[in-house]
Amino acid sequence: MRPVLLAGHERALTQIKYNREGDLLFSTAKDQHICAWFAHNGERLGTYQGHQGAIWTVDVDPTSTILASGSADNTIRLWEVKTGKLLKTWDFPTAVKRVEFNEDATQLLGVTEKRMGHLGTIVVLDIKIDPEAEQSDEKAMTIVCEESKATVAGWSYLSKYIIAGHEDGSVSQYDAKTGDLIYNVNVHELGSPITDLQWNQDRTYFITASKDKTAKLITAKELEVLKTYVADTPLNSASITPKKEFVILGGGQAAMDVTTTSARQGKFEARFYHKIFEEEIGRVRGHFGPLNTVAADPTGKGYASGGEDGYVRVHLFDKGYFDFNYEVERERLNRLAAQGGN
Amino acid sequence: EDAERISSADVAVVQERRRILEDWYNWREVVEEEIAEERAELGLSEDPIEELLRAKAAEVAPDGEEQVIE
Repeated sequence: MRPVLLAGHERALTQIKYNREGDLLFSTAKDQHICAWFAHNGERLGTYQGHQGAIWTVDVDPTSTILASGSADNTIRLWEVKTGKLLKTWDFPTAVKRVEFNEDATQLLGVTEKRMGHLGTIVVLDIKIDPEAEQSDEKAMTIVCEESKATVAGWSYLSKYIIAGHEDGSVSQYDAKTGDLIYNVNVHELGSPITDLQWNQDRTYFITASKDKTAKLITAKELEVLKTYVADTPLNSASITPKKEFVILGGGQAAMDVTTTSARQGKFEARFYHKIFEEEIGRVRGHFGPLNTVAADPTGKGYASGGEDGYVRVHLFDKGYFDFNYEVERERLNRLAAQGGN
Repeated sequence: EDAERISSADVAVVQERRRILEDWYNWREVVEEEIAEERAELGLSEDPIEELLRAKAAEVAPDGEEQVIE
């Protein structure tokens, strides 16, 4: 599993996103440009220039036509993927920490930062997947996070709920049509921020990563915690792999946060856990600093990680990865194959 | 005796894993059915993304003919 190293950023990575076909990779960093890459060889397709601050987040629509980004310059921007043309800028009073399209990319949500005089919010914008179209200036909805600010958020299946992860370690479910808060559940250790939230493919469940050193698999409908993955380092990111029943966790203690001199090397690894059995099954080394973001290729062929060290590492899975099964999984697969053969 | 103890522990572990695995796939089956029903009730297409991709392809080749790129 030799990785392709993408050296196009000069600062720490903040988010990586694959497009739906898994052939393109978009990355954002604290330097002020978005990069697009070919996933199979790491060739840079282009950059998207215009933001005036660190870029925290990126998302691409399912047809790979438009790209959304959120930045410390207090804007959400919309770009044409193919040409790099800036299509629209929305201004906010504070930084934008997360953006995500809903399943048919008719709407985009943005998580805005809390600051003196401003509560954290989740804003919703109406979107047209058309580079020629005029995009609406008006926000379709604003959810104000009165209790604890949202750090991450996303859209559930059928765009029914907006799910947010908060600074206090809790998860909220909002009605995506009205913005009403339905539930708020404490899932992570109180006061440990949720650092990432990523969906499974049909958006019926998601994984959260937290500074409390755990990641959790949670249902969108009931906010029920299905699985817990226990790591030995604060987590910044977690992703669910398609095709295989694994999850990938990324994290690590930043050098400035390590108080002892015996700061162990080698904590900067991507960790693979079995999604269903909650057991760690492997690690992948490479980064020289914490992993800030991990992303699984939606086609199941590989994964990418982005580090505090400024590198993106793209990995294609080898045969051993696909062949790996627990004995009881093999048993089940054999049974299914036998049934299918009849 | 030791070997027996180990093997019975193994059996317990395997049985537990088998149960966890079955629980997971049973739950997935229920959820997938539920979502399909809900989608149908709302009059939404089974795969909204396929529809978007078709629309995009139609825009590229509006007469519906396949474009041959040489």
